[in-house]
Amino acid sequence: MTTTHDLGQPLMTPLAVADPGGLIQSVDWVAIAPPLIAALAALAVLVADLFLPEARKRLLGWLSAAGLLAALAMLLPLVLGDTRSTFCFKSGGCSYTADHFALAFQLLALGGALLTVLLSLHTVEDEKLPGGEYWFLLLSSACGAALLPAARDLATLVIALEVATLPAFALVALRRDGRGAESALKFFLSSVTATAVMLLGVSFVYAAAGTIQLQGIADGLAHAPGQLKPLAEAGAVLTLVGFAFKTAAVPFHFWVPDTYVGAPLPVAGYLSVVGKAAGLSGLALVTTVAFRPYGHTWGLVLAVLAALTMTVGNAAALRQRADTPYGAVRLLAWSSVGQAGYLLVPLAAAGYADSADPLGATVAYALIYGLVNLGAFGVVALVGGTGRLESFRGLASRNRWAAFALAFFLLCLAGLPPGVVGLFGKVVVFRAAVDAGLGWLAVVMAVNVVIALAYYLKWTALLFAPSTSADVAVPRVPASLTAALGLAASGAVVLSVAPQLVLQVVSGSLF
Amino acid sequence: MEWQPLAADPAAGSGYFDAYAAIGLLAVIGVLFVTVAFTANRLLRPVVNTPEKLLAYECGVDPVGEGWAHTQIRYYVYAFLYVIFAVDAIYLFPWATVFAAAGFGAATLVEMFVFIGFLAVGLLYAWKKGVLEWT
Repeated sequence: MTTTHDLGQPLMTPLAVADPGGLIQSVDWVAIAPPLIAALAALAVLVADLFLPEARKRLLGWLSAAGLLAALAMLLPLVLGDTRSTFCFKSGGCSYTADHFALAFQLLALGGALLTVLLSLHTVEDEKLPGGEYWFLLLSSACGAALLPAARDLATLVIALEVATLPAFALVALRRDGRGAESALKFFLSSVTATAVMLLGVSFVYAAAGTIQLQGIADGLAHAPGQLKPLAEAGAVLTLVGFAFKTAAVPFHFWVPDTYVGAPLPVAGYLSVVGKAAGLSGLALVTTVAFRPYGHTWGLVLAVLAALTMTVGNAAALRQRADTPYGAVRLLAWSSVGQAGYLLVPLAAAGYADSADPLGATVAYALIYGLVNLGAFGVVALVGGTGRLESFRGLASRNRWAAFALAFFLLCLAGLPPGVVGLFGKVVVFRAAVDAGLGWLAVVMAVNVVIALAYYLKWTALLFAPSTSADVAVPRVPASLTAALGLAASGAVVLSVAPQLVLQVVSGSLF
Repeated sequence: MEWQPLAADPAAGSGYFDAYAAIGLLAVIGVLFVTVAFTANRLLRPVVNTPEKLLAYECGVDPVGEGWAHTQIRYYVYAFLYVIFAVDAIYLFPWATVFAAAGFGAATLVEMFVFIGFLAVGLLYAWKKGVLEWT
């Protein structure tokens, strides 16, 4: 675009405006505090790493945990107060909104990162990972994941998603062996492809709707001229494909098992919870806010994706043998693919119901899943070794509390009492599907829950089976790992006793 | 002051693609020029090969070694550091033309120093990790 000045006159945009400071967007520092504090903590850790002597590097991990705690604390005034928006345009609409949807996912991202930090404290020392870089990358990624659910325009959304995933590639490769490099490369290539596809889709949507604001896109698409319809639809599909990659929905899931196996265990847990939450919240925002006019189309697409994802994930998890190396992580990886299927169900329901109400089920289920899945990864990290499922045989006789914790986490994932919170989470998801008239999807999900029972229960039974081999002495469990497991387990127990703590998001309004 | 797009609305008609006609013409002329020059050269020149003439040409010196040469990995780190400053400059120049204008205020000035501060942390990291020492 250019002006129609005569030659010789300077081509200048009209910069001089009446009110000084009028071109500057006002910033609400309280609203952006959670991701901002995480980012500042990341920077502080990176600089502190340069000046700390080798013996004091342990402090960096605790510094990261403190930073995440501070970021979590800053969620409190936002939860108690009104919805705040910032980076607003004069024409209306804001780029950052801290509504209940954003806050719930920020809690998941920052809380998940905090648990990961606690799980990682001894991993970083044991495996001699570069400390400063590890904590810096983890905090940066958490910052991106916390920024993403609050983003309300496509540019912020894409940048936040990249901030969340780019450090994750390096985190996966940090073990610096052949397996880690292969995993990271696989993760990198599939993720970069997804980003490229998504950017193409985003540009199409921008061309058709004339704005990058999510709310504006919904209006723009509804009134787009007929010639631009195919462009808009192609853009919407490509954008969804990009987010489906990050959520690891089938058929875009193939990078998951290999990436999890090669990554340090806490990072695998982090990816399965926070990485997935980032993709999922982006998907929810783009579909329910921006592409609302196409609700029935993407509702059907997401329903099919959800059915495929849970079926393929559970079937593959069922096929894991007890004696393959890294079997435990592989099983958790495939089960996380299956769980992603359940998480997609309410999104599909939102398309059919033409409202954002069913999303509450996704938020509640994601919070429950995040807590217990990180706990399960924690116990796998505690048992260590080559991570064969066989090495969990008779864990109850060696380390009673770890066995009980893992059994409880697995029952929560399966949705069986005493893991009541997992059961309630599944019921909420079911109800969202049935209410939206997606009866067939509810049936597919029921079948999948039964399939999943098989492998979760088989693993649980293995924990309490009599030990066959003469066992080595139980290694002392590091305090940080105990703290993380205690936190996850007590959280799951509290939620099982009082599920309304998390399920209240289902009934409240999110946006 | 009236804003008017250079190219017409793509949905409105063919005006948008007409704007590319000049570029297409230039491409055609370019291809023709190269084809004619090379064909004329081939038709006019005498062909008398000697071993020296068939040797790969390397700045007037006889070629040494093989075509496959390793590059030091540290060039890659330097390329990274270069990018830091290149990106820096890309954002600094447009900023420098407007930051004093009315409507921007002190926030614009501070924002750029925050940005430069981030880059400085990157440079500090590289320096403390010993990347800046060549030997």
